[in-house]
Amino acid sequence: MKRQLTINTDPIDEAALVPQRVMSSGMGAAVYFTGVVRGMEESEEIQGIEYEAFQKMVDHQFNLLFDEMEKRWPLESVRLVHRLGWVKVNEPSLWVEIIAPHRGEAFAACRWLIDEMKRVVPIWKKPVSEEGNTPIKEA
Amino acid sequence: MRVSVHFYSYFKELTGCAETAETLPEGSTINDLLKLLIARFPKLGAMQNSTLIAVGVEYQGRSYVLKEGEEVSLFPPVQGG
Repeated sequence: MKRQLTINTDPIDEAALVPQRVMSSGMGAAVYFTGVVRGMEESEEIQGIEYEAFQKMVDHQFNLLFDEMEKRWPLESVRLVHRLGWVKVNEPSLWVEIIAPHRGEAFAACRWLIDEMKRVVPIWKKPVSEEGNTPIKEA
Repeated sequence: MRVSVHFYSYFKELTGCAETAETLPEGSTINDLLKLLIARFPKLGAMQNSTLIAVGVEYQGRSYVLKEGEEVSLFPPVQGG
């Protein structure tokens, strides 16, 4: 399974990512997911989110997840882009593409990857409100 | 034995620093390190049940036996996406 991981502060350019798709003749499904910053966070209007990462561990944990995906589904490739730093409301913070022979595997793998990312990949977000507050969130 | 400790996310605000170091007896566990850290940074105490801990880039449990020079990271539940 080919894997491409991009974690940086650059804006996510969906229009540029989609045409870069590489798909062999045996593949019948390309699933894309885009996560976008919402304007509301826990009933409070926000301007955007500041993302922070433990970069070295992020790379390692994503690769462990990709290893597991490879065991679970016959995927041809995964591409994942996660933006760090300041991301404004309505801008994408996450973009994922899965290429698989069939839609069932592609949808399942995409959902699993995002669910697991939210469980184990050390990235945190700090919503910034209209007033510029960044309240500490107790877990 | 000396280990470095790194804090991420709002744990930096709770402790007032991004990293520190601790000296512990040989054979000490992550749980022993946590006790020392909570004594130094009492605000970490309220978070201890949800605190995630990594040594290097791997998650480890409270019973993990630390080794000289290891890098330990403490952080709250992750929130990517």
